[in-house]
Amino acid sequence: MSLNRLDNKQLTAFIPGTIVDVKVKVGQQVKQGEILVVLDAMKMHNRILAPMNTTVKEVNVKTGERVVKGFVMVVLD
Amino acid sequence: MPLNDKIEELKKRKEEVLQGGGEQAVAKQAAMGKLTARERIIALLDEDSFNEYDMFVEHEARDFGMDGKILHGDGVIIGTGTIYGAPVAIFAQDFTVAGGSLGFMHARKITKMMDYALRMRIPLIGINDSGGARIQEGVNSLAGYGEIFWRNTLSSGIIPQISVILGPCAGGAVYSPALTDFVFVVDKISKMFITGPEVIKSVLGEEISQEDLGGAKVHAMITGNAHFYSESELECFEQIKKLITFIPWNNTRKARSFEPKEPKSTYNISEIVPGDPKQPYDVRDVIRAIVDDSDFFEIHELWAGNIVIGFGRLNGETVGFVANQPMVMAGVLDVDSSDKAARFIRYCNAFSIPLCTLVDLPGYLPGIDQEHAGVIRHGAKLLYAYSEASVPKMTVILRKAYGGGYIAMSSRHLRADFVFAWPGAEIAVMGPEGAANIIFRKEIMEAENPDEMRKQKVEEYKEKFANPYVAAAKGYIDTVIEPEETRKMLLHSLEVSSNKVADRPFKKHGIPPF
Repeated sequence: MSLNRLDNKQLTAFIPGTIVDVKVKVGQQVKQGEILVVLDAMKMHNRILAPMNTTVKEVNVKTGERVVKGFVMVVLD
Repeated sequence: MPLNDKIEELKKRKEEVLQGGGEQAVAKQAAMGKLTARERIIALLDEDSFNEYDMFVEHEARDFGMDGKILHGDGVIIGTGTIYGAPVAIFAQDFTVAGGSLGFMHARKITKMMDYALRMRIPLIGINDSGGARIQEGVNSLAGYGEIFWRNTLSSGIIPQISVILGPCAGGAVYSPALTDFVFVVDKISKMFITGPEVIKSVLGEEISQEDLGGAKVHAMITGNAHFYSESELECFEQIKKLITFIPWNNTRKARSFEPKEPKSTYNISEIVPGDPKQPYDVRDVIRAIVDDSDFFEIHELWAGNIVIGFGRLNGETVGFVANQPMVMAGVLDVDSSDKAARFIRYCNAFSIPLCTLVDLPGYLPGIDQEHAGVIRHGAKLLYAYSEASVPKMTVILRKAYGGGYIAMSSRHLRADFVFAWPGAEIAVMGPEGAANIIFRKEIMEAENPDEMRKQKVEEYKEKFANPYVAAAKGYIDTVIEPEETRKMLLHSLEVSSNKVADRPFKKHGIPPF
């Protein structure tokens, strides 16, 4: 059994919202704390940050798109 | 025998006990990357301050080949010492002796120290590293656990109780730490669970490692059972020492006072919180801009990050901080963050530590999983804890304070003593978008251009209600202050409230929703 809750390579939406900015592309190197995506939800432009230094493997969202809760927005390597 | 020979004999006997479980067992402990129980005590306490008791205790087990078996100290070391000069009672289970298993005399040594700590009104520190109950001693082991739990509960709110998990702590043994105030874990060393991987496999057929089931990260990030996480035992001891500087010895004393220090100039309080309420920031920087020397000691840093709790000092005195964290899940209240803050508020109240609450939240997190996880009763814990707390309570509304979140976050209505708001504060029954949609539903629906009308009505609502002055007009907030005035106002509030009287009707105890 893998421990999904400690595996922070899949960045999901904590609540439904609208993507207001996508800052990264597939294959891009990112540093820990770098903004990947901005999700407008709960009256806030929530910054989705890279939890570590790594490479972006998948970007599943576009600016203006609505996402449902739990949607995997970005996958890191 | 001449006295000198008797002294020699004492030395020899001590020497023998100091071997613990013997060379091999000590080497095995080191191979696991762990210090021995005695090394841990020495590393944690002030130099040469440790005095050990009950060194020569022997177990009384006779069955299952235990008769005549020597277990030094019966697998646990107890004594007293100091941390930065503050007295503490301590016990440390010795894994090198019979796996630190808990037998009758082992438990009696621990409870002796617990009784001592309570009688002397000094903090108790327990270092857990044990395979569990000593099976050969049967129900006597279970009795031992029960005696420990009873004393944990008796001492709760009178003396600080600190648990350090430096090895396995499984089965019934986990309930003692859970009953104490602060639990410390160390990566790769701490393991806590009620039923281990073997039982889970045989009963449920699920396979999981000890680390994934109840390792340090699991308890620091997922369950919230651990308050402090570190990468090494020495780092863990530094955390404990720092905690001791912030808390009083017992519930009748104040925490130690320090020389007051201004916050560091690197934290400019006017520049941390963006004017646009949709922009996030790190609320810990606001706390650092307020507290002495910008020194904020965070608790539960890795769990329920949407609320921040911890200690700082104002004018040299310890204050407990509770703050919504806009950069984690927009700072919403939910099951875990309510639970986390409520217990901390009760801790501060029990030990007479004033509370400072910083408010900036959109409200409670909507969702089926939250509702079904019991956000009603967990959220109620927060209301209960704030209402119950009789220590000085200061509230600063930084930005958003909507709906139930406004009430819950130490509002005037829950008897905050001082409520301040910054000029950008928005105190209202709900956010402008939601409110406009409800109040002006008809106008919006019947308008030629509903979107345009909605926008206009949202602006109208914002102008009228999304500010601190409606609440100020009712006296729900005491005054609107500039961010730079925050520290000054808080220092003054503390000064004014040092003789606070908050009598409550007599009751045996309340019934909080836990």
